[in-house]
Amino acid sequence: MSIEAMRPPDDVRRELGRSYAKIDGRTLRTLTEASLTWLRTNQQVVNALNVFPVPDGDTGTNMTLTMQSAIDALGESSVASVGKVGKSIAHGALMGARGNSGVILSQLWRGFARALDDHALLDAALLTQAFAEARDTAYKGVVHPVEGTILTVAKDNARAAQEALEAGAESALDILEAVVEEAEASVARTPDLLPVLQDAGVVDSGGKGLFFILEGMLRHVYGLPLDTPLATVQPLSALKLQDAAQSIEPGQDWEVVIDFRPAAPLDIQAFYAQLESIGTSIQVGEGDGIYRMHIHVPTAAKAEPEKYIETLGTIKRVMFENLMEQLAEQSVQAASASFKLATVAPGQLAVVAVAPGSGIAQVFASLGVAAIVEGGQTMNPSTQDILSAVDTLPTDQVIILPNNKNIVLAAKQASGLTAKNLSVVPTTSVPQGIAALLAHDPDGDLSAVTDAMAQAVGEIRSVEVTTATRSVELDGVHVREGQVIGLLNGKLAVSGDDLEPVLLEVLKKAGADEAELISLYYGAGMIALQANKLGDRVREVWPRVEVEIVRGGQPHYQFIASVE
Amino acid sequence: MSQAPRPAGRIEISHKAIATLAAQATLRSYGVVGMASRNLVDGIVYLLARDPRHGVEVTSPGGQVEIDLYIVVEYGTRVSSVADSVAHTVRYQVERALGMPIGHVNIHVQDLRVSNVD
Repeated sequence: MSIEAMRPPDDVRRELGRSYAKIDGRTLRTLTEASLTWLRTNQQVVNALNVFPVPDGDTGTNMTLTMQSAIDALGESSVASVGKVGKSIAHGALMGARGNSGVILSQLWRGFARALDDHALLDAALLTQAFAEARDTAYKGVVHPVEGTILTVAKDNARAAQEALEAGAESALDILEAVVEEAEASVARTPDLLPVLQDAGVVDSGGKGLFFILEGMLRHVYGLPLDTPLATVQPLSALKLQDAAQSIEPGQDWEVVIDFRPAAPLDIQAFYAQLESIGTSIQVGEGDGIYRMHIHVPTAAKAEPEKYIETLGTIKRVMFENLMEQLAEQSVQAASASFKLATVAPGQLAVVAVAPGSGIAQVFASLGVAAIVEGGQTMNPSTQDILSAVDTLPTDQVIILPNNKNIVLAAKQASGLTAKNLSVVPTTSVPQGIAALLAHDPDGDLSAVTDAMAQAVGEIRSVEVTTATRSVELDGVHVREGQVIGLLNGKLAVSGDDLEPVLLEVLKKAGADEAELISLYYGAGMIALQANKLGDRVREVWPRVEVEIVRGGQPHYQFIASVE
Repeated sequence: MSQAPRPAGRIEISHKAIATLAAQATLRSYGVVGMASRNLVDGIVYLLARDPRHGVEVTSPGGQVEIDLYIVVEYGTRVSSVADSVAHTVRYQVERALGMPIGHVNIHVQDLRVSNVD
């Protein structure tokens, strides 16, 4: 939103100019809190701008945490002088500086605070001086400054403040307005200065974060909301809906996600405005002309987004999720998901396992896994995810259990990309991973343990039960979409309309008649009662076999089982 | 351009070349205000190295490239964040240029430079 569009009517603006002619300590505190709120609201927007795969993690998150630390340092005190408040903010930002962008942000605050010194009030001239001091301090922290970054935006801000002052700015608000306006323009210019941004088609993330910090202050002054993200459209791949689901407001019971193709070019501002009247946590993504809208609404307004979007174009898909239900489930899972990973000493063997669900992660942890990478059939972790887990371990002898055939390759790639000694036991299912872990010896030799694990994997039969997503004929078994299918060692073995017969038949094919132990891990879509009933049926059919029933929490698979 | 396969040869990259890469990446990292010459007798305070490569030590024990960086950090920054970020940036830039993974990147903060007293 441009400053012009945000600015209140002239008479209101004049009144605000008088109230914000000089800023006291308490107001500076309120404005900084507004910065944090607005930055946090737009955190994902900033995160999505990262171009380097490595250096700065998630800029939005780092800057938000740095600002949070700055606010925390203010504590409960209600000091009236801007000098003192500035010092606390700068100190807090320094202590909590995270990542490159956080360190630079802390330097900006440090310079800003130095200008405030022991002044009681912040007027137009002092604010201008503070922006200049912030720029100078930030530039001192680097030998070869890179232009087209947050540093450039800080420099342009200081210039804009100076120009506004010379043009006769009377209030601190006049300066703030000029700075926010310039910050927005400066951020937009960053790709012209830094080719890597141009190539990636983004603006600088740190600069954008700084802009949100300043704009948050101005939005607070104007009385604009700080909890609804800017009307932006992100690429579909950048939409992080899991994060949105975690911030649930009371009364907003349903999450609605709608994919649609607009009949005419979408007016994003109007679209957001209409959605804001219906619900909260609005996110909009776009890819190949298809838009995805995400919103939280009260039960009564469940159908509203759909009705509204129908007027705009063709709806492709509508998804509803009951957030209260989800929340209850999350807290149950969170309670049971607290588990202790094995600790390893330098030089010992550590195991990194890929787990598709919290329950399975827990089982792995209890068997001596030192780090878990979340992932499975439909969410394959990247090589980088695996490397990050490996890097956290204090030892350089690491065994990786990919536990899915789609992840084996990523795991093998990881072993070429680190100085640590990695070996991959190519497990293609969770039961294989568990079998491998039973052969684990933290004090053993890397290649000997790897061999022992590979052998243990060969001795187990693994069973998976899921629902077919399309009709197919494979390995001589005919399956219709929606049918239940049973896989034995990754190969399609059984299909049928109901869960129970499929489970029993695939276990039989896996050699349950001669087995000693059957372990059943039930999935996220199933409740304990259901799973126990089916477990009892398995016990009836094979009374001499020991049957274990464990909550696996994996998505998509009703059951994962091992027969040994 | 010839499409005929070329015989596989050796590519050697000197430690000095790697040191240049590392030094450039270090000096572009925020918070680093200089490289410290490490060829000084113990007890003498740091001296900003005239050639930044004097603050870089490249070794390859067991074939893995290891880099030690001797840096001077701006007073008033969070040193641990700066050091982390230098290690990441140098690893990223060097690995990207060499096209192969490297071993440890060790950061030695030799001194702080005070340009402003708060």
